[in-house]
Amino acid sequence: MNSDFANLPDLINNKNLEQMAENSKTPDMTTIEEVQGIETEKATPEDLADAVNSLIPLIVGLLEFKLDNSREGILQTVRPVLDRLIEERSREDLPKMAAAIAKILPEAIEAEIKLNPQAIAKAIAPEIALSIKEQILLDASAISQTLGPEMGKAIKTQIELEKDAMVDALYPVIGSTIAKYMVEVVQDINSRVEKTLSFEGIKRKFQAKIQGVSEAELIFKESIGYRVRAIFLIDKDSGLVIQEIQIPGEKQGEKQLDSDMLAGMLTAIRSFANDCIASGSELGAIDYGDWQIPLEVAGYCYLAVIVAGEPPREFITRIRRVLGEIVMEHNEAIQNFNGNVDAVPVAIKTKLEQLTESKQQKSPKSSAPLLLWLLIFLLGLVLVPWGIGNYRARVAHHIEQSTALQLDAAPELSVYRLDPTVKQGKLIIKGRVPDQYLRDRAQTIVQDIADQNQLQMDNQIVAVNVPASPSLITGEMQRLTQLFNQQPQVSIQTSYQPQTLTIQGLVLDESTRQTIGKAFKQIPGVEQVVFNLDQQLPIVKQRIYFKSGSAELDFVDNISKINAIKSILQQHPQLSLRLVVHSDDIGSAVINQRLGQKRCQSVKTALVARGIQANRLITNCNLLFSAKNKDNSQGTWLKRYVSFEPLISPNLSE
Amino acid sequence: MSTITQKVCLLGDFNVGKTSLVRRFIEDQFSDRYLSTVGVKVSRKSVKVRTATEIHQLNLLLWDLEGNTKFKSITPSYLKGASGSIIVADLSRTDTLQNLRQHLELFLSINPQGQATIALNKADLIPPEKLAQLLENYQSQDFPGVLGVYPTSAKTGDRVEEIFQELAAALAS
Repeated sequence: MNSDFANLPDLINNKNLEQMAENSKTPDMTTIEEVQGIETEKATPEDLADAVNSLIPLIVGLLEFKLDNSREGILQTVRPVLDRLIEERSREDLPKMAAAIAKILPEAIEAEIKLNPQAIAKAIAPEIALSIKEQILLDASAISQTLGPEMGKAIKTQIELEKDAMVDALYPVIGSTIAKYMVEVVQDINSRVEKTLSFEGIKRKFQAKIQGVSEAELIFKESIGYRVRAIFLIDKDSGLVIQEIQIPGEKQGEKQLDSDMLAGMLTAIRSFANDCIASGSELGAIDYGDWQIPLEVAGYCYLAVIVAGEPPREFITRIRRVLGEIVMEHNEAIQNFNGNVDAVPVAIKTKLEQLTESKQQKSPKSSAPLLLWLLIFLLGLVLVPWGIGNYRARVAHHIEQSTALQLDAAPELSVYRLDPTVKQGKLIIKGRVPDQYLRDRAQTIVQDIADQNQLQMDNQIVAVNVPASPSLITGEMQRLTQLFNQQPQVSIQTSYQPQTLTIQGLVLDESTRQTIGKAFKQIPGVEQVVFNLDQQLPIVKQRIYFKSGSAELDFVDNISKINAIKSILQQHPQLSLRLVVHSDDIGSAVINQRLGQKRCQSVKTALVARGIQANRLITNCNLLFSAKNKDNSQGTWLKRYVSFEPLISPNLSE
Repeated sequence: MSTITQKVCLLGDFNVGKTSLVRRFIEDQFSDRYLSTVGVKVSRKSVKVRTATEIHQLNLLLWDLEGNTKFKSITPSYLKGASGSIIVADLSRTDTLQNLRQHLELFLSINPQGQATIALNKADLIPPEKLAQLLENYQSQDFPGVLGVYPTSAKTGDRVEEIFQELAAALAS
């Protein structure tokens, strides 16, 4: 079987035949050599080719037949020489060989990937990086265009798979970006909060409401104390000016800035700062005298805006936005900038000009209606509350009047001035009345009116203690004094100082004393009762002695006694004295009785002669025998005397 | 006639005369006083370059960099974006001549497309016969990617204009 078809490959590839035969020294090739030997002796290569060509259909037929019958056999036969054949052939005519293989290559690779994906991956892997690099050289945008759409997904997947690694990788970039952003935001919030409650803040709120614009815009307008002096778009590396706009002020002597030098220096400063101070962060702005130079970096360039004065935060944001747009649209032109300003797209300049437009100041036209509105608003602010207040005042006045009338109608209140007022939903009544009763009376009257008008009642009437008239007090006082003095145990005198009543005299009984106190306290106008009372009758020890059988009073002997009695009576004006006659038992009772009468009378006469009122001396002159004094050792004269018994005289004051 | 601006860096060891060369070129002045440059000084000069077809106006922005010392190397970021450079050495100090190659490599590593030229300064200090000898040792073919090697003197002004002009011409083409 082998021998039948051993020479078939040679025949198929007949042009290679001669070399193949010469080069091959393998035992398998013996038959080929034989065939070749036969052929070369008889014919030229052309003839041979013709012969073979004519044979091809036959060979194909045979092959097909053989393939059908024994695929394995064919494969085994062909396999050992195939690679050599390909090698030889490709050495001779590479393009043709390539063309031949190219047709099957995609399918072959596909099949192999299916069968053995790892092997393919291994084979291709080392070259992928290189081939991408090559491709970038050939067509810079192709790879980015291919990979671009997938980058987002790739990053997303990576974040899902390995979040921490992504965070670590991006941290240095994002960290500083966020820090920068946050510092600005915090400053912004700070300044807003600081200003919110200021006068400007409130004014701004009103303006925002009236004009229908955001407060932020107003803040921006307010802080427009700046002027853009120049704008430079600068190549980040070389420091060359890509595009510039200069706006010299109206001030005399303000020259064009030397943009090249300025850009160079700014770039040098930036580079220095980046290298030496804080790598990874960017120089955000330069303060130079009156100028602020905000620097915004993006892509291959940075934007330096020279501003006189203090640019507001919004302006910086605007710079950032404009630069962002420029970089998005013209990044390639900027990257390829070669120092030729004319080659820079004009659109960049147009974009930059957006930054020079300062906000229009409010035109007088628009301010007129605004002023009008403000005026109307202010007028409304004044008039509306005034109208409401006026109406309320009228209603209140009506209620007040009717209340006053009602109060007047009550006879007991009509003498007092009571002022009703209506205030904040309350009916307030003020004034003074002498007592709680009248206050309550007014309360009932006013409460009715308040209920009718659905108002709260506030009774501020004060019940004052009106000082009672002194005549009334004294009258009452005297009346009571008299009344009490009619009692046997009582002899009092009263005197009145405003609010204080003083009681002097004798009250022998404690309970009577309390009754007296209570009674006097009830007199209107008496706040306090002061007692100055004696509870015991004074004792009068004096005795006036007489000679036996005589009723004559020895004036000289008894003058001191009489004076003493007099002084007691003066001390106690309410006191009366009963004269008691004592007699010795010498003689008859009748004589003693008569003598006693005389003695009694002579004592009374003597006392009256000394200025003592006769009515204070009670002289019924009952005779008392000193029965107790039976012993006569002390002499009989001691038994003949007049003694004094004090008692409270009820009708003394009359 | 188009105006093109290009950045040109001067680099070399300290006290080789970079600032003096710039001053001679721009102001045509010279001072013996040595003032070390701190950081960088940017100057500008416009030159006209005549090519076969037209005349170019070339705005040269000269970045006169702080000289390289043992303690402080040149800040590479200053070199970024430069189209050309003049690398300066002092003919009277051999070490500065030896450092030329290092400076050139630094420049070309940052700007592979950049044009470089070498100024061997202070030629006035060297006797003519010794100068010839020295120049032989530092031929331009020894420095790949270099336009030329020029013995210059900022003091006398010798070859200063030329070296700048030649660099400008290379930048314009």
